[in-house]
Amino acid sequence: MVRDFSLFTSAAMQRTKNGDPHAAVACAHAGPPIFFSPYNTRDGRGTWVITRANDQRKLLQDTATFSSHRSIFASALGENWPMIPLELDPPAHGVFRSLLNPLLSPKRVMALEPAVRERAIALIDMISASSTSCDVMKDFAFPFAVSIFLRFLGLSDERLDTFVGWAKDLLHGDGIKRTAAARTIVAFIDDLAAMRRKEPADDFMTFVVQAKVDGRPLRDEEIRGIGVLLFVAGLDTVATAIGFDLAYLARNPRDQELLRSEPDRIVLAAEELLRAYSTVQMIRVATKDIDFEGAPIRKGDYISCPTMIANRDPAEFECPNTIDLAREDNRHTAFAYGPHRCLGSHLARREIVIALEEWLSRIPDFRIKKGTAPITYGGHVFGIENLILDWS
Amino acid sequence: MRIIVHNAKCQGHARCWAQAPDIFDLNDEGYILPGDIDVEEKDELLASRGARSCPERALEIDRTSDALLDRLLFNQHCGG
Ligand code: SF4
Repeated sequence: MVRDFSLFTSAAMQRTKNGDPHAAVACAHAGPPIFFSPYNTRDGRGTWVITRANDQRKLLQDTATFSSHRSIFASALGENWPMIPLELDPPAHGVFRSLLNPLLSPKRVMALEPAVRERAIALIDMISASSTSCDVMKDFAFPFAVSIFLRFLGLSDERLDTFVGWAKDLLHGDGIKRTAAARTIVAFIDDLAAMRRKEPADDFMTFVVQAKVDGRPLRDEEIRGIGVLLFVAGLDTVATAIGFDLAYLARNPRDQELLRSEPDRIVLAAEELLRAYSTVQMIRVATKDIDFEGAPIRKGDYISCPTMIANRDPAEFECPNTIDLAREDNRHTAFAYGPHRCLGSHLARREIVIALEEWLSRIPDFRIKKGTAPITYGGHVFGIENLILDWS
Repeated sequence: MRIIVHNAKCQGHARCWAQAPDIFDLNDEGYILPGDIDVEEKDELLASRGARSCPERALEIDRTSDALLDRLLFNQHCGG
């Protein structure tokens, strides 16, 4: 039941020119549905890996047996507080989720749409006015996704590069960089909370410091737990998704043309791209010994549910490795299953759709610039960089 | 056709609502409202699309009422 396979250390997970880490992990379906992977975390700790969508659904829906309380961020600092709501289990989880859900509900996101679109258009117009080529991650995907998100938090764009740098160190840096970044982010969130307490503004942090749960104000640690999670969660996931999507379209001119000439198809196509290029793995801790589909999981064991593997499950999706932008039956798990379904999923979706709509309507026939090769990698969040697009 | 809503399973993906906003109603937090949904024949395609797009399998399509109706009509036809 042990396999030498890891989202962190396997060959295809290293920085690779013109790599396709999603296709590489899809090979997991050739093996058993559940196996143990000795190095499948950043700290070299092993996890069980669940490959089938149906098993992931069962597992992530069963929060009593599979806890998400890991304090992963805090433990990097030798501390112990949960990121909220991600690292809380029900019922405590529900209280905070109910507090935050309305801020990012589908209807609320509709209200944010004009600002999101305006930001996308401004960036793309700037790019197309100055050149017929760009590094789309640096020039568009990151500035777009991160500035929307900073605006949501009530922060200005000025420090965008600094924030992205922190996120990079945290998610992809070595041990020392990670700890330093974690410390910096915590201090930043604590300061921000203190500032908004003194001088309330019309923003997310003010909402959190003024909020009440169970009739009491939030504790400092809870405010920090929420702030840190939101800060980290929004910094690179959407940008990465946009990057993988544009790389796909750059390499598949027919699909690119289809979406350009029939933009109504973009909403459905974005779901297929979310399925094919999802970027995160969920990790849970077993709260008791349990045999799960024949695997002897023991209390305290880590279990990984990589979305990118479930989303290529042939039992769930017809021809899972074919990217069919018109695919209809598409109950993918890019945002996970169960109560921890990504809180920002509705905003993320809209951002991706808007980015594709505006990019395709403003940038002509684009491809990957000759002589360049985008670099991809696996890990806790899959990534892509050096994506130089050319439309000369 | 009816759609049986397994409310406890809904995690607010809002996929159903995205497909068919007039058939599936969400609360302010973005989760589906409780109560099964009776679907008119003209809406069946949209409704089943919405139900089939739920990642949590919280929406079950129930055609037994159609079957009952069919049988009734058939029996009436045949004078049964
Ligand atoms: S798609 Fe499913 S989980 Fe999402 S709102 Fe509808 S019923 Fe709930």
